[in-house]
Amino acid sequence: MIEVEGLTKTFREFSAVAGVSFTVRQGETFALLGPNGSGKSTILKSIAGLIKPSSGGISIGGIDALKRPQEARKLLSYLPQRVGFHDCLTAQEVLKFYCRLRKLPPSRIEDVVHGSEFNFNGFSEKRVSELSGGMKQKLGLAVACLADAPILLLDEPTVSLDPAGAIAFRKFLNSLKEKGKTIVFTSHVLADVEMLADRVAVLVDGKLTALVTIEELRLRIADKRQSLEEIYLDYAKTS
Amino acid sequence: MELSSILPIARQELTVAIRNKWTVIFAFVFGSLVLAISYFGTMTAGDIGFQGFNRTTASLLSLVLYLIPLVALMMGTQSFLRNEGEDEMLFSQPVSRSEVLAGKLLGLFAAMTTATFVGFGLGGIVIATQTDAEGFLGYPVFVLLSLILALVFLSLSMLAAVASQRRTKAFGIALLLWFFFVILYDLLVLGGSLLLKERSANYFIFASLFGNPVDMVRVAGLLSMKGGEVFGAAGAALLKFLGGFGQAIAALVAGLIVWTVLPILASFRLLRDQDI
Repeated sequence: MIEVEGLTKTFREFSAVAGVSFTVRQGETFALLGPNGSGKSTILKSIAGLIKPSSGGISIGGIDALKRPQEARKLLSYLPQRVGFHDCLTAQEVLKFYCRLRKLPPSRIEDVVHGSEFNFNGFSEKRVSELSGGMKQKLGLAVACLADAPILLLDEPTVSLDPAGAIAFRKFLNSLKEKGKTIVFTSHVLADVEMLADRVAVLVDGKLTALVTIEELRLRIADKRQSLEEIYLDYAKTS
Repeated sequence: MELSSILPIARQELTVAIRNKWTVIFAFVFGSLVLAISYFGTMTAGDIGFQGFNRTTASLLSLVLYLIPLVALMMGTQSFLRNEGEDEMLFSQPVSRSEVLAGKLLGLFAAMTTATFVGFGLGGIVIATQTDAEGFLGYPVFVLLSLILALVFLSLSMLAAVASQRRTKAFGIALLLWFFFVILYDLLVLGGSLLLKERSANYFIFASLFGNPVDMVRVAGLLSMKGGEVFGAAGAALLKFLGGFGQAIAALVAGLIVWTVLPILASFRLLRDQDI
């Protein structure tokens, strides 16, 4: 579904991502794990067409995302780490705007806001300026779900959510997984990775240091009696 | 570019401009200006009361040449500047970057048009009820020229914001553009003409007209409202240089179109290669 080949991104002298390659299969939930500045968000933004790679290639659903970015973006929805909307608009107006932009029927708003397991209710008439960080994140997720795109790209999706919100969010993502969505997300929260991901790419200093299935990780936890945090630190040290 | 992608962005931009009170404030400012100039315009002659369209329009034109570029540059720079989370959501949609810029420009222009129509429109209605209709036809031309000037400076603000990306730098460039075109340019041209012989100096001044959209609107306004005679011998020479009244207006309109389109194309080109 997503093929990343030799992806490199250099900002002046700084190499944010260095020759990263991986494939995300259809229906898979794929986690990009790594410390701050490891290149997770840069990879996700490159897939979303927001960052132009210095070299390498990205293919989404067989479409060359660098040559035909608009077509590739039809297949995906992206939720940034820091969601932002015009403060003076209501949540409902934001949803209507993205509905129009993606040429979707207005009924999609009802489907997403009231039909999902994730509770989007109670804020549609509020202005964005009145929403908390968590509520804005929920609104961002609602926008990302509007298009019902086969691929979801989520950058640190639980970072602004309270514990109850994070649990509800994981449940919601699992429901999307069951519907066959391909999900790529970045996270610092190892609990998210363990509960949601099928495979994990560990990144350190812009390089891919490990690409493992969650089962392999769990086996290692059982064998070495290490926590997920300790295993992650091992990967980071050996890079 | 698809209109179905541009229109929702334009609509949202217009809504935001109205909600943020920009449009209302500018409509109020424009309306107040019209009424104040019309009512107090002859105060220095010891007279007070509404003047007709002819005098009001001529006085307004001078003021608008300062005000509209400033308003358009500030409003445009504010809107075209990057807003991280918002832009990431917007640019990750299946729309092109050019469509996003075009949508924003259209929405801002719609906001400026609304403010201009409401402000100058209501002011014009008051003048029409208080005075005779002499010179009325020049008034819509003046409003049209104000809108063209707004569009030129909105597109320049787009280029300033896209090229600089950073808030303080973008506003600095916007203010510099205003200062250059509204204040400095004419002084530079006059200074430059002093270095040339008379005939060359004339050509230099006429040709330099096309280097400044503010001057182009000023000349187009005066020509269309009062004809070439308003400039005297200089006006006659200018019309001769441009090939007559019709050709002069056509050349000025064409020049203003170029001044609108070039910054837009340059912004599209710049943004295409930038990271969001």
